[in-house]
Amino acid sequence: MKTLVFIPAWNEADSIRSVIEDAREHVPGAHVLVIDDGSGDETAARAREAGAQVASLPFNQGVGAAHQTGYIYAMENGYELCGQIDGDGQHPAAELTRLLAEVEAGHADLVVGSRFAETTTYNAPWARRTGQKLFSWIVSTATRQTLTDTTSGMRALNRRAMSLFATRYSSEFAEVESLQQAVRAGLTVKEIHVNMLPREQGTSFITPLNSAFYIFKTLVVLLVGQMRPRTPAPEADK
Amino acid sequence: MNWLLAATEPVVRLTPQARIVAAVLAVLFMLLILDLIRRDRLLERYSIVWFVMGLAMLAGAAFPGLLELLARALGVRDVTIALFSVVLIILLALSLNFSVIASRQAKQITRLAQQSAIETIDDPGGSVEAGGQPEAERLEG
Repeated sequence: MKTLVFIPAWNEADSIRSVIEDAREHVPGAHVLVIDDGSGDETAARAREAGAQVASLPFNQGVGAAHQTGYIYAMENGYELCGQIDGDGQHPAAELTRLLAEVEAGHADLVVGSRFAETTTYNAPWARRTGQKLFSWIVSTATRQTLTDTTSGMRALNRRAMSLFATRYSSEFAEVESLQQAVRAGLTVKEIHVNMLPREQGTSFITPLNSAFYIFKTLVVLLVGQMRPRTPAPEADK
Repeated sequence: MNWLLAATEPVVRLTPQARIVAAVLAVLFMLLILDLIRRDRLLERYSIVWFVMGLAMLAGAAFPGLLELLARALGVRDVTIALFSVVLIILLALSLNFSVIASRQAKQITRLAQQSAIETIDDPGGSVEAGGQPEAERLEG
């Protein structure tokens, strides 16, 4: 299957090369595209040096806009399968291949790599952990299926999911809201357990300082999301 | 039905001095709007609503009967309170309207940024269908 692996990156100059090399090595048939979300550092140049193609947003638009750029590109260029890993090096590409295989086998439209589907040694700061538990509980309640890692940026999807996200995708609450959106559109969402590494470089945008506000905003967004009409996503063109 | 009407009690009106100040401000406000349009700082589309607001201010100052009518309709004895309530509601509606406009424009900007990002991709021949990545085809075959 024609496969795209895209890597959203914002100021990840120090880790981007190894992420690209990892993706190249483990997903050899795929086209690797780095989506540079208006980085102020050398991210784009380093990515090109590493041999990846780079789509540069002219200014920082938020993680959701970067993801959506990948989906739009994949749709426009006829990719049948699309995988994504974060640019900070916490997602081993070897794990992504399992997600891609799951989508390719037709078991789901969207497969999410979860750190928590089984107990692991992954250790996050308590504020993040609490937030993630809360999101997990809410999203699971809203979608009536167990989703343990709602903020995971490691996923694989088919054209049906891509076309849904290319049309509408939250720019600020990307990962969490899109799960709800996918389930409500009638897509099959599956979660499989993956091992993740601690962040190589940079800091998460969810710091303890603003996590409470972020959680509150996400709650509102999810609540509003529950009130949106359920429009089934059309079957994707083949 | 007297209990429904506040108008039976004495009405608090605007003083002549307040009316003069309001009229002068209204005229200055409209001049400012005209100047902003003239200097291309304000699109006509957005100027109309402000110009109408200026005219309404002028009308309120020139014909105090209008404000009293308004106060009676709202069941308020004090004309100034009626005035404040109405102006507040209008401003609330306007700022909500502008938030809606800002949201729409933010979406449009994002879409533009994404399109431009896709166009910046250095080597379009690298996509699989263009055959620029023979390695990928070999593995697929």
